[in-house]
Amino acid sequence: MTKVVFKKPVKLLILLLTSVLITTASAAVYYSIMMQPSITITGATIAFAQGNDWPSGSTLGANSTWVSLALKAYPNATLTYEQPLNVSNTDSASHTFRLRHVSITPASGQPQVGNFTFINFIVMDTDGVSQASFNYTTTSTTWNTPSPTSYLTLPGSTQWIIYVETKATAGANSDIVANMQIAVDVQE
Amino acid sequence: MESPLLPEFLVFLGIEVFLMLSLLNCLLDDRLPNAFSYIYQIAALFGFGHLVISREFFSAFGDHVRFWYGLIYLIAALANVVAINVYFGVVKRLWTLAKAWLGAVIFPAIVISIVFVFDYGIVQRATLPLQIGLIVSAIATSLSIAYPLVRAVDRSKKSGKKGGEN
Repeated sequence: MTKVVFKKPVKLLILLLTSVLITTASAAVYYSIMMQPSITITGATIAFAQGNDWPSGSTLGANSTWVSLALKAYPNATLTYEQPLNVSNTDSASHTFRLRHVSITPASGQPQVGNFTFINFIVMDTDGVSQASFNYTTTSTTWNTPSPTSYLTLPGSTQWIIYVETKATAGANSDIVANMQIAVDVQE
Repeated sequence: MESPLLPEFLVFLGIEVFLMLSLLNCLLDDRLPNAFSYIYQIAALFGFGHLVISREFFSAFGDHVRFWYGLIYLIAALANVVAINVYFGVVKRLWTLAKAWLGAVIFPAIVISIVFVFDYGIVQRATLPLQIGLIVSAIATSLSIAYPLVRAVDRSKKSGKKGGEN
Protein backbone atom coordinates (compact mmCIF):
# COMPACT_ATOMS: atom_id res chain seq x y z
CA MET A 1 0.00 0.00 0.00
CA THR A 2 2.79 2.42 0.92
CA LYS A 3 4.52 1.54 -2.33
CA VAL A 4 1.47 2.48 -4.43
CA VAL A 5 0.94 5.79 -2.63
CA PHE A 6 4.60 6.65 -3.14
CA LYS A 7 4.75 5.59 -6.82
CA LYS A 8 1.94 7.77 -8.15
CA PRO A 9 3.20 11.15 -6.91
CA VAL A 10 6.71 10.36 -8.19
CA LYS A 11 5.36 9.41 -11.59
CA LEU A 12 3.20 12.54 -11.65
CA LEU A 13 6.16 14.68 -10.63
CA ILE A 14 8.35 13.21 -13.36
CA LEU A 15 5.64 13.71 -15.96
CA LEU A 16 5.06 17.24 -14.71
CA LEU A 17 8.75 18.08 -14.99
CA THR A 18 9.07 16.64 -18.50
CA SER A 19 5.88 18.49 -19.48
CA VAL A 20 7.30 21.78 -18.25
CA LEU A 21 10.54 21.03 -20.10
CA ILE A 22 8.76 20.24 -23.37
CA THR A 23 6.50 23.29 -23.04
CA THR A 24 9.42 25.62 -22.35
CA ALA A 25 11.49 24.23 -25.20
CA SER A 26 8.53 24.40 -27.60
CA ALA A 27 7.74 27.97 -26.56
CA ALA A 28 11.39 28.92 -27.12
CA VAL A 29 11.38 27.38 -30.61
CA TYR A 30 8.06 29.07 -31.43
CA TYR A 31 9.45 32.39 -30.22
CA SER A 32 12.57 31.96 -32.34
CA ILE A 33 10.40 31.27 -35.40
CA MET A 34 8.39 34.40 -34.63
CA MET A 35 11.54 36.49 -34.41
CA GLN A 36 12.89 35.14 -37.71
CA PRO A 37 12.68 37.94 -40.26
CA SER A 38 11.01 37.06 -43.52
CA ILE A 39 11.50 39.43 -46.43
CA THR A 40 9.95 38.79 -49.82
CA ILE A 41 11.01 40.82 -52.82
CA THR A 42 8.04 42.09 -54.80
CA GLY A 43 7.45 44.79 -57.38
CA ALA A 44 6.73 48.28 -56.09
CA THR A 45 3.01 48.76 -55.56
CA ILE A 46 3.23 52.45 -56.47
CA ALA A 47 5.41 52.96 -59.51
CA PHE A 48 6.03 55.64 -62.10
CA ALA A 49 4.89 55.42 -65.72
CA GLN A 50 5.56 57.58 -68.74
CA GLY A 51 2.74 60.00 -69.53
CA ASN A 52 1.47 61.11 -72.94
CA ASP A 53 3.52 64.29 -72.59
CA TRP A 54 6.78 62.57 -71.57
CA PRO A 55 9.59 65.16 -71.96
CA SER A 56 12.46 64.15 -74.20
CA GLY A 57 15.72 63.52 -72.33
CA SER A 58 13.84 62.17 -69.30
CA THR A 59 14.70 58.80 -67.82
CA LEU A 60 12.44 56.20 -66.26
CA GLY A 61 14.58 54.21 -63.84
CA ALA A 62 14.81 50.47 -63.36
CA ASN A 63 11.64 48.86 -61.97
CA SER A 64 9.91 52.24 -62.47
CA THR A 65 10.83 53.20 -58.93
CA TRP A 66 12.56 56.43 -59.83
CA VAL A 67 12.33 58.97 -62.61
CA SER A 68 14.43 61.87 -63.82
CA LEU A 69 12.38 64.51 -65.63
CA ALA A 70 14.10 66.99 -67.94
CA LEU A 71 11.84 70.04 -67.87
CA LYS A 72 12.22 73.48 -69.42
CA ALA A 73 11.08 76.91 -68.31
CA TYR A 74 10.39 79.88 -70.60
CA PRO A 75 11.15 83.45 -69.53
CA ASN A 76 7.99 85.38 -68.68
CA ALA A 77 5.72 82.60 -69.98
CA THR A 78 4.14 79.62 -68.31
CA LEU A 79 5.13 76.31 -69.83
CA THR A 80 2.68 73.51 -69.09
CA TYR A 81 3.35 69.77 -69.25
CA GLU A 82 -0.13 68.30 -69.13
CA GLN A 83 0.84 64.67 -68.59
CA PRO A 84 4.60 64.23 -68.33
CA LEU A 85 4.44 61.53 -65.72
CA ASN A 86 1.94 59.12 -64.22
CA VAL A 87 1.88 57.57 -60.77
CA SER A 88 0.55 54.06 -61.09
CA ASN A 89 -0.90 51.76 -58.44
CA THR A 90 0.00 48.27 -59.65
CA ASP A 91 -1.85 46.61 -56.78
CA SER A 92 -5.56 45.81 -56.75
CA ALA A 93 -5.93 47.40 -53.30
CA SER A 94 -5.68 51.15 -52.78
CA HIS A 95 -2.50 52.68 -51.35
CA THR A 96 -1.61 56.13 -50.09
CA PHE A 97 1.34 58.25 -51.14
CA ARG A 98 2.63 61.78 -50.76
CA LEU A 99 5.23 64.05 -52.34
CA ARG A 100 8.04 65.29 -50.13
CA HIS A 101 10.78 67.79 -50.91
CA VAL A 102 14.31 66.44 -50.46
CA SER A 103 16.75 68.91 -52.01
CA ILE A 104 17.16 71.64 -54.62
CA THR A 105 20.14 73.25 -56.34
CA PRO A 106 21.23 75.96 -56.78
CA ALA A 107 20.70 76.54 -53.11
CA SER A 108 18.87 79.56 -51.75
CA GLY A 109 21.10 82.62 -51.73
CA GLN A 110 22.70 81.77 -55.07
CA PRO A 111 22.00 84.49 -57.70
CA GLN A 112 20.80 81.85 -60.23
CA VAL A 113 17.73 81.19 -58.10
CA GLY A 114 16.32 84.55 -59.06
CA ASN A 115 15.92 83.33 -62.67
CA PHE A 116 12.97 81.14 -61.73
CA THR A 117 9.44 82.22 -60.88
CA PHE A 118 7.82 78.88 -60.05
CA ILE A 119 7.94 75.16 -60.71
CA ASN A 120 4.61 73.62 -59.79
CA PHE A 121 3.74 69.92 -59.58
CA ILE A 122 0.03 69.10 -59.41
CA VAL A 123 -1.29 65.61 -58.75
CA MET A 124 -4.44 64.98 -60.74
CA ASP A 125 -6.78 62.02 -60.65
CA THR A 126 -8.08 60.21 -63.73
CA ASP A 127 -10.85 62.81 -64.16
CA GLY A 128 -8.31 65.64 -64.15
CA VAL A 129 -9.34 66.88 -60.71
CA SER A 130 -6.47 68.30 -58.68
CA GLN A 131 -5.69 66.21 -55.59
CA ALA A 132 -2.63 68.06 -54.34
CA SER A 133 -0.25 70.86 -55.31
CA PHE A 134 3.47 70.84 -54.68
CA ASN A 135 4.82 74.27 -55.62
CA TYR A 136 8.34 75.67 -55.66
CA THR A 137 8.36 79.46 -55.82
CA THR A 138 11.06 82.07 -55.40
CA THR A 139 11.37 85.27 -53.44
CA SER A 140 14.35 87.11 -54.88
CA THR A 141 17.14 84.48 -54.59
CA THR A 142 15.40 82.27 -52.05
CA TRP A 143 13.48 79.11 -52.81
CA ASN A 144 10.15 78.65 -51.07
CA THR A 145 10.10 74.88 -50.87
CA PRO A 146 6.78 73.12 -50.37
CA SER A 147 5.75 71.15 -47.32
CA PRO A 148 4.97 67.48 -47.89
CA THR A 149 1.51 66.92 -49.31
CA SER A 150 -1.01 65.02 -47.23
CA TYR A 151 -1.21 61.31 -48.01
CA LEU A 152 -3.33 60.79 -51.11
CA THR A 153 -5.30 57.59 -51.61
CA LEU A 154 -4.64 56.09 -55.01
CA PRO A 155 -7.28 53.45 -55.82
CA GLY A 156 -6.15 50.01 -56.93
CA SER A 157 -5.05 49.49 -60.57
CA THR A 158 -5.28 53.23 -61.26
CA GLN A 159 -2.93 55.82 -62.71
CA TRP A 160 -2.89 59.44 -61.64
CA ILE A 161 -1.19 62.28 -63.47
CA ILE A 162 1.61 64.57 -62.35
CA TYR A 163 0.90 67.87 -64.10
CA VAL A 164 3.79 70.36 -64.21
CA GLU A 165 3.94 74.12 -64.77
CA THR A 166 7.18 76.09 -65.00
CA LYS A 167 7.98 79.74 -65.44
CA ALA A 168 11.19 81.79 -65.48
CA THR A 169 11.43 85.50 -64.78
CA ALA A 170 11.39 88.02 -67.60
CA GLY A 171 14.96 88.47 -68.75
CA ALA A 172 16.10 85.17 -67.21
CA ASN A 173 19.41 83.85 -68.39
CA SER A 174 19.30 80.74 -70.55
CA ASP A 175 21.20 77.60 -69.58
CA ILE A 176 20.46 78.08 -65.89
CA VAL A 177 19.60 74.66 -64.52
CA ALA A 178 17.75 73.81 -61.33
CA ASN A 179 17.91 70.27 -60.01
CA MET A 180 15.40 69.17 -57.47
CA GLN A 181 14.87 65.88 -55.77
CA ILE A 182 11.36 64.92 -54.70
CA ALA A 183 10.54 61.76 -52.78
CA VAL A 184 7.32 59.83 -53.17
CA ASP A 185 6.46 58.25 -49.81
CA VAL A 186 4.20 55.23 -50.12
CA GLN A 187 2.23 53.63 -47.31
CA GLU A 188 1.76 49.91 -47.84
CA MET B 1 -2.41 42.52 -42.60
CA GLU B 2 -0.29 39.91 -40.95
CA SER B 3 -1.60 37.66 -38.22
CA PRO B 4 0.32 37.89 -34.93
CA LEU B 5 -0.06 34.11 -34.82
CA LEU B 6 2.12 31.80 -36.84
CA PRO B 7 0.75 28.49 -38.16
CA GLU B 8 3.14 26.78 -35.73
CA PHE B 9 0.97 28.02 -32.89
CA LEU B 10 -1.46 25.21 -33.73
CA VAL B 11 1.37 22.71 -33.18
CA PHE B 12 2.17 24.40 -29.88
CA LEU B 13 -1.49 24.07 -28.89
CA GLY B 14 -1.45 20.39 -29.88
CA ILE B 15 1.64 19.83 -27.71
CA GLU B 16 -0.16 21.36 -24.74
CA VAL B 17 -3.18 19.12 -25.32
CA PHE B 18 -0.97 16.01 -25.44
CA LEU B 19 0.83 17.03 -22.23
CA MET B 20 -2.48 17.72 -20.50
CA LEU B 21 -3.67 14.25 -21.56
CA SER B 22 -0.48 12.72 -20.22
CA LEU B 23 -0.95 14.31 -16.79
CA LEU B 24 -4.66 13.47 -16.64
CA ASN B 25 -3.82 9.88 -17.57
CA CYS B 26 -1.40 9.74 -14.70
CA LEU B 27 -4.08 11.01 -12.31
CA LEU B 28 -6.63 8.51 -13.66
CA ASP B 29 -4.17 5.62 -14.06
CA ASP B 30 -6.51 3.20 -12.27
CA ARG B 31 -9.03 3.69 -15.09
CA LEU B 32 -6.70 4.02 -18.07
CA PRO B 33 -3.78 1.94 -19.37
CA ASN B 34 -0.53 2.97 -17.69
CA ALA B 35 1.45 3.35 -20.88
CA PHE B 36 -0.80 6.16 -22.17
CA SER B 37 0.96 8.79 -20.03
CA TYR B 38 4.28 8.03 -21.71
CA ILE B 39 2.79 7.67 -25.19
CA TYR B 40 1.30 11.19 -24.91
CA GLN B 41 4.64 12.56 -23.73
CA ILE B 42 6.25 11.03 -26.83
CA ALA B 43 3.48 12.56 -28.99
CA ALA B 44 4.26 15.96 -27.42
CA LEU B 45 7.95 15.43 -28.15
CA PHE B 46 7.00 14.63 -31.74
CA GLY B 47 5.29 18.02 -31.87
CA PHE B 48 8.42 19.66 -30.50
CA GLY B 49 10.41 17.98 -33.31
CA HIS B 50 7.82 19.30 -35.73
CA LEU B 51 8.46 22.85 -34.47
CA VAL B 52 12.23 22.45 -34.79
CA ILE B 53 11.89 21.18 -38.38
CA SER B 54 9.52 24.05 -39.19
CA ARG B 55 12.11 26.52 -37.93
CA GLU B 56 14.95 24.96 -39.92
CA PHE B 57 12.96 24.80 -43.15
CA PHE B 58 10.96 27.96 -42.53
CA SER B 59 11.49 29.42 -45.99
CA ALA B 60 11.00 26.11 -47.82
CA PHE B 61 7.40 25.61 -46.70
CA GLY B 62 4.65 28.01 -47.68
CA ASP B 63 2.11 29.38 -45.20
CA HIS B 64 -0.54 26.96 -46.42
CA VAL B 65 1.62 23.85 -45.94
CA ARG B 66 2.67 24.97 -42.46
CA PHE B 67 -0.94 25.70 -41.54
CA TRP B 68 -2.24 22.30 -42.67
CA TYR B 69 0.58 20.38 -40.93
CA GLY B 70 -0.18 22.30 -37.74
CA LEU B 71 -3.91 21.75 -38.04
CA ILE B 72 -3.49 18.00 -38.64
CA TYR B 73 -1.33 17.69 -35.53
CA LEU B 74 -3.86 19.65 -33.47
CA ILE B 75 -6.73 17.53 -34.79
CA ALA B 76 -4.77 14.38 -33.85
CA ALA B 77 -4.42 15.72 -30.29
CA LEU B 78 -8.12 16.59 -30.07
CA ALA B 79 -9.06 13.20 -31.51
CA ASN B 80 -7.21 11.58 -28.61
CA VAL B 81 -9.17 13.72 -26.14
CA VAL B 82 -12.42 12.52 -27.73
CA ALA B 83 -11.16 8.91 -27.94
CA ILE B 84 -10.52 8.82 -24.17
CA ASN B 85 -14.07 10.05 -23.61
CA VAL B 86 -15.41 7.28 -25.83
CA TYR B 87 -13.22 4.81 -23.92
CA PHE B 88 -14.71 5.95 -20.60
CA GLY B 89 -18.27 5.93 -21.90
CA VAL B 90 -18.39 2.91 -24.19
CA VAL B 91 -15.67 0.54 -23.00
CA LYS B 92 -15.54 1.25 -19.25
CA ARG B 93 -19.19 2.41 -18.86
CA LEU B 94 -18.05 5.21 -16.54
CA TRP B 95 -20.86 7.60 -17.46
CA THR B 96 -20.26 10.21 -14.79
CA LEU B 97 -16.57 10.38 -15.57
CA ALA B 98 -17.34 10.51 -19.30
CA LYS B 99 -19.70 13.45 -18.78
CA ALA B 100 -17.21 15.24 -16.55
CA TRP B 101 -14.50 14.68 -19.17
CA LEU B 102 -16.83 16.03 -21.84
CA GLY B 103 -17.48 19.25 -19.98
CA ALA B 104 -14.11 19.78 -18.32
CA VAL B 105 -11.68 18.63 -21.01
CA ILE B 106 -13.25 18.21 -24.45
CA PHE B 107 -15.33 21.39 -24.45
CA PRO B 108 -12.55 23.82 -23.43
CA ALA B 109 -9.96 22.08 -25.62
CA ILE B 110 -12.14 22.23 -28.73
CA VAL B 111 -13.41 25.76 -28.12
CA ILE B 112 -9.89 27.11 -27.51
CA SER B 113 -8.63 25.33 -30.64
CA ILE B 114 -11.49 26.69 -32.75
CA VAL B 115 -10.88 30.22 -31.49
CA PHE B 116 -7.21 30.13 -32.48
CA VAL B 117 -7.74 28.40 -35.82
CA PHE B 118 -10.52 30.88 -36.59
CA ASP B 119 -8.36 33.82 -35.61
CA TYR B 120 -5.57 32.63 -37.86
CA GLY B 121 -7.98 31.81 -40.72
CA ILE B 122 -9.74 35.19 -40.67
CA VAL B 123 -6.59 37.26 -40.54
CA GLN B 124 -4.92 35.24 -43.28
CA ARG B 125 -8.08 35.52 -45.41
CA ALA B 126 -8.45 31.77 -45.51
CA THR B 127 -10.68 30.29 -48.15
CA LEU B 128 -14.41 30.24 -47.45
CA PRO B 129 -14.78 26.42 -47.18
CA LEU B 130 -12.36 26.36 -44.26
CA GLN B 131 -14.29 29.06 -42.40
CA ILE B 132 -17.66 27.42 -43.08
CA GLY B 133 -16.20 24.10 -41.93
CA LEU B 134 -15.05 25.67 -38.70
CA ILE B 135 -18.42 27.29 -38.03
CA VAL B 136 -20.23 24.00 -38.67
CA SER B 137 -17.80 22.09 -36.45
CA ALA B 138 -18.17 24.68 -33.65
CA ILE B 139 -21.98 24.39 -33.75
CA ALA B 140 -21.84 20.58 -33.94
CA THR B 141 -19.45 20.44 -30.99
CA SER B 142 -21.61 22.75 -28.87
CA LEU B 143 -24.76 20.73 -29.63
CA SER B 144 -23.11 17.38 -29.02
CA ILE B 145 -21.88 18.61 -25.64
CA ALA B 146 -25.10 20.36 -24.62
CA TYR B 147 -27.47 17.50 -25.55
CA PRO B 148 -26.20 14.79 -23.15
CA LEU B 149 -25.82 17.32 -20.35
CA VAL B 150 -29.39 18.58 -20.77
CA ARG B 151 -30.65 14.99 -20.86
CA ALA B 152 -28.74 14.14 -17.69
CA VAL B 153 -30.21 17.18 -15.90
CA ASP B 154 -33.73 16.21 -17.05
CA ARG B 155 -33.27 12.66 -15.86
CA SER B 156 -32.01 13.76 -12.48
CA LYS B 157 -34.97 16.13 -12.10
CA LYS B 158 -37.43 13.37 -13.00
CA SER B 159 -35.93 10.79 -10.71
CA GLY B 160 -35.57 13.38 -7.95
CA LYS B 161 -32.03 12.32 -7.23
CA LYS B 162 -28.56 12.95 -8.58
CA GLY B 163 -28.03 11.56 -12.08
CA GLY B 164 -24.54 10.02 -11.64
CA GLU B 165 -24.57 6.25 -12.03
CA ASN B 166 -20.88 5.58 -11.89
